[in-house]
Amino acid sequence: MSLLANKLRALQQQAGGAATRSVVVPRDDIARHLRKLVQCRERLRAQPLVAPAGTEVAPGVYLVERRIDSTETDDAWMPWGDLGHVARERLVCFDTETTGLAGGVGTRAFMIGALQWQGKSLLVRQLYLTTIAGEAAMLRIFASWLAADSVFISYNGRSYDAPLLKGRYRLNRLPCPFADRGHVDLLYPTRRAWRGVWENCRLATIERNLLGIVRDDDLPGSEAPAAWLAFLRGHSASNLRRVIAHNDQDVITLAALLDRLQILPLEEGAIAWQQARPATLPA
Amino acid sequence: MLAQTALTTAQRSDLGASSTDGLVGKLTERYRDRITGYFKIPAIAARYSPFPPGVSEPLIDALAARGITRLYSHQREAWDALAAGLNTVVVTPTASGKSLCYHLPVIEAVRQSRAKALYLFPTKALAQDQVAELLELNRAGDLGVRAYTFDGDTPNDARQAIRVHGDIVVSNPDMVHQAILPHHTKWAQFFEGLRYIVIDEVHTYRGVFGSHLANVLRRLKRICAFYGVSPQFILCSATIGNPKEHAEALIGAPVQAITRSGAANGERHVLLWNPPVINPDLGIRASSRSQATRLARHAIRSKLKTIVFAQSRLMVEVITKYLKDVFDHDPRKPERIRAYRGGYLPTERRETERALRSGSIDGVVSTSALELGVDIGSLDVAILSGYPGSIAATWQRLGRAGRRQQPSLGVMIASSHALDQYVVRHPEFFQNAPPETARIAPDQLLILLDHIRCAAFELPFSAGEIFGETVADDFLDVLAESGVLHREGDRWDWIADSYPAQAVSLRSVADGNFVVVDRSGGRQVIIAEVDYSSAALTLYEGAIYMVQSQPFQVEILDWVGRKAFVRRTVVDYYTDSIDYTKLKVLERFDGSNAGKGTCHHGEVHVVRRVSGYKKIRFYTHENIGYGPVTLPDQELHTTAVWWQLSQAALAQAFMSKQDALDGFLGAAYALHTVAQVSVMSEGRDLQKAVGSGETASSSGYDQQGRGQWLASENTECADAVFCPTVHLYDNHPGGIGLSEPLFRRAAQLVNDARELVTRCECKAGCPACVGPILASDEEHRSPRGLALAVLDLLA
Repeated sequence: MSLLANKLRALQQQAGGAATRSVVVPRDDIARHLRKLVQCRERLRAQPLVAPAGTEVAPGVYLVERRIDSTETDDAWMPWGDLGHVARERLVCFDTETTGLAGGVGTRAFMIGALQWQGKSLLVRQLYLTTIAGEAAMLRIFASWLAADSVFISYNGRSYDAPLLKGRYRLNRLPCPFADRGHVDLLYPTRRAWRGVWENCRLATIERNLLGIVRDDDLPGSEAPAAWLAFLRGHSASNLRRVIAHNDQDVITLAALLDRLQILPLEEGAIAWQQARPATLPA
Repeated sequence: MLAQTALTTAQRSDLGASSTDGLVGKLTERYRDRITGYFKIPAIAARYSPFPPGVSEPLIDALAARGITRLYSHQREAWDALAAGLNTVVVTPTASGKSLCYHLPVIEAVRQSRAKALYLFPTKALAQDQVAELLELNRAGDLGVRAYTFDGDTPNDARQAIRVHGDIVVSNPDMVHQAILPHHTKWAQFFEGLRYIVIDEVHTYRGVFGSHLANVLRRLKRICAFYGVSPQFILCSATIGNPKEHAEALIGAPVQAITRSGAANGERHVLLWNPPVINPDLGIRASSRSQATRLARHAIRSKLKTIVFAQSRLMVEVITKYLKDVFDHDPRKPERIRAYRGGYLPTERRETERALRSGSIDGVVSTSALELGVDIGSLDVAILSGYPGSIAATWQRLGRAGRRQQPSLGVMIASSHALDQYVVRHPEFFQNAPPETARIAPDQLLILLDHIRCAAFELPFSAGEIFGETVADDFLDVLAESGVLHREGDRWDWIADSYPAQAVSLRSVADGNFVVVDRSGGRQVIIAEVDYSSAALTLYEGAIYMVQSQPFQVEILDWVGRKAFVRRTVVDYYTDSIDYTKLKVLERFDGSNAGKGTCHHGEVHVVRRVSGYKKIRFYTHENIGYGPVTLPDQELHTTAVWWQLSQAALAQAFMSKQDALDGFLGAAYALHTVAQVSVMSEGRDLQKAVGSGETASSSGYDQQGRGQWLASENTECADAVFCPTVHLYDNHPGGIGLSEPLFRRAAQLVNDARELVTRCECKAGCPACVGPILASDEEHRSPRGLALAVLDLLA
């Protein structure tokens, strides 16, 4: 690394910044040799990995797609605002995987999963990035899946996924698909109906206890950022494969939860819907 | 009882004056020997200009409703410069209607094209003041301008509304840095309309804070460019020596300076006041506190509205108590005296400000908190207990007294510190010196790295992209190596799950503050925060750490975890660390001759070690024990300026090595004092060390504050050529740009130091010239004479 880099590192340490991280200075030939070997291994590792699933639909963007048979074709009952009964085809259950929870414009979504009803089947599509530069294309493709009257379905998406994606669209100078479409966040009615019944209202808790869904070999959502980074840096693709599976299950759970909310006992359901955070349509 | 005594003293000392002129007359008559300087600044008549054609009717009506029917000349000049598309800095005194210079163009732009403006103030209180003023103006003319403060106290649900609906957002640099820029996509609408950026009180943005702000503005401009706007800057400053240069350094673009005020000013009297000597041998004087209290009593008795500036929060409380004992001893009568300082609740501060404006109280005692442009109306007398550290700040505080028509009085009372004594004994310096220049070092490596990190979070960097004046690539490589950035082709993107702005404080270079945790009574309570650079000196295990004069003992210091665990204790001593510094020159940037010696500046390596501590009994100040300290050495690469003399020159001038060293210690003390004056720095930003040749090692100070020379541990040095050297170094990793200007003014500094020592009234040396001395020093060659010999050789 350059002289400047070395100097910066030394100054950082003096300013109390890097107390936990020491700079390795090779003392003799062995150290130098070892360092070379490590560098060599790093270079080998840095070779781009093969994407773990799907096909490349744009440079740096992969699509994973599958269809599932569905028996549910009735309209979904969404008793608030001006939505009421909504045709299933209009619904888009979606969930993102992001580079972290720190917030701000430095956090991005590297994966967007969406589930849509098409006649008698469910179409699950997932987009993910294999290079950062693919972001704009990914955002464009996701927007292209939407109809003018699409309604988003999410879990905590109104507070998390949608604002984050909004920022990403803006940063890429693209029109934001969230600006003029309805968005139903199932967290609120779920919380209303089942608050205090289980230890919390996180999606994993709800799906296990309410929907009886048990995940095999699930990668916790909190490990998704590291999994993608490991792939990006050419270290390993195996955990990214598990993130894809995790995200796939998330959108399927969303659809199942929506169905479960349809059959709430009338009174409980009514209260739940009425007191749910109102309105979904943007002002 | 106490109050009674105070009362009679006060009556006895009543001068019987009833106007400012009368008070000045009586003071100069009675205290002739304490007044070292007196000057009068004549009254100035106002210069007016008509409203420019661009100002619309409703705004003119709104101003008229508030009593403004025409503009001061500088307000009009500002309008014209801005209309011509120039960035503008307005430099006029306190209460000259500076804020109208920016309100006018901003309000017009909002009304005509729904443009947006961002106002930045160094403190929340000033921001709230401005919003209040804007709202009043808005109401007066029903102008439809929406102005909001946006700071740490703004509730989350209000933030969304402010981002979307705010025409004028009034905030501070820290919020821009930590809340606005890292979330700029939420502010997209605001940025797209952003037309003006107003930065008031720019003289406060110097040194570390200013260097950070310059980088925040670089980031702000980068985001503005992303949204396709390039807003105009309007800056305002109290009087400093280099407003144009400073403003240009801050915003990185050309700036038009408007420096002639059109506001009227009554006649001003300024007194420099030195408390009487009470121990002539050791050069000890009466406290500035006692003098300030006495003067305030005289002034308030003379029915003059008075403000007293004290140097610390504690001193504010003490002086307030003394004045209240005199003037507020009857609880049935309304309060006449109030204190004002940081740490008070905002509501309480607002109330005091209102009381001052309406004239319902007679005296206020304040810290520097009232030095800035908080609107408190006009007062008659300003009393400064202690020199504020710079000419500019002194004038700003003195400026708190000053009415349009009537005369006012300002008194600067010196404390016994060297800097104060220097200033008070050089009235001509004080009167004639141009105010200090404000200096920043925006390209200081660590500060730059911090902000490039933050900037990379906000928008990706491209190869070859210039940040400020630097191609960022090398910095980006360092960041990529540490894993926060990912490079793809010619682009670096933020990749880490962290929020870098949170870890960067605009008010310091070093990060990793230590928290002091009180474990008394089984609970863990954080009672203080200590910055990294002074942690080793104050938080070693065994140290007595005091909060509000309550002693706590440090039990465990967790260096890596940055925590000191303390427990409340009862002791009759305090502790003082024994530290020493080793300094080694790494590289010379430049050099020149200095008399019979040389002067250089360059890069140095400084190692500081705390080796132990002393226990010192309160009041008697006797040494009652020692303790060991084992802490890691603190290393510092920084820049320094140094003077040295050859052995030949020394041999002629000094009888012994020891004499030469004593001379250098005294010279270092004097040079340090005048250097601080010269670069407008605070004492801890600039340090001194004395040594031999290219290395130096020196202790801190013993309990009398006297510099000591320690023999180098390094035996080879002892045999080396004896070549004593004075170093003044920048006390921040990487330097903060102080030593280069010092080098350029080296000859002037030596002259100033000589003059300081020559003209001192002490016998052998004192805290005002070459540092405190021991009584025995007077017997042989005096430290003062030795220091002068060194300075003469360097001149």
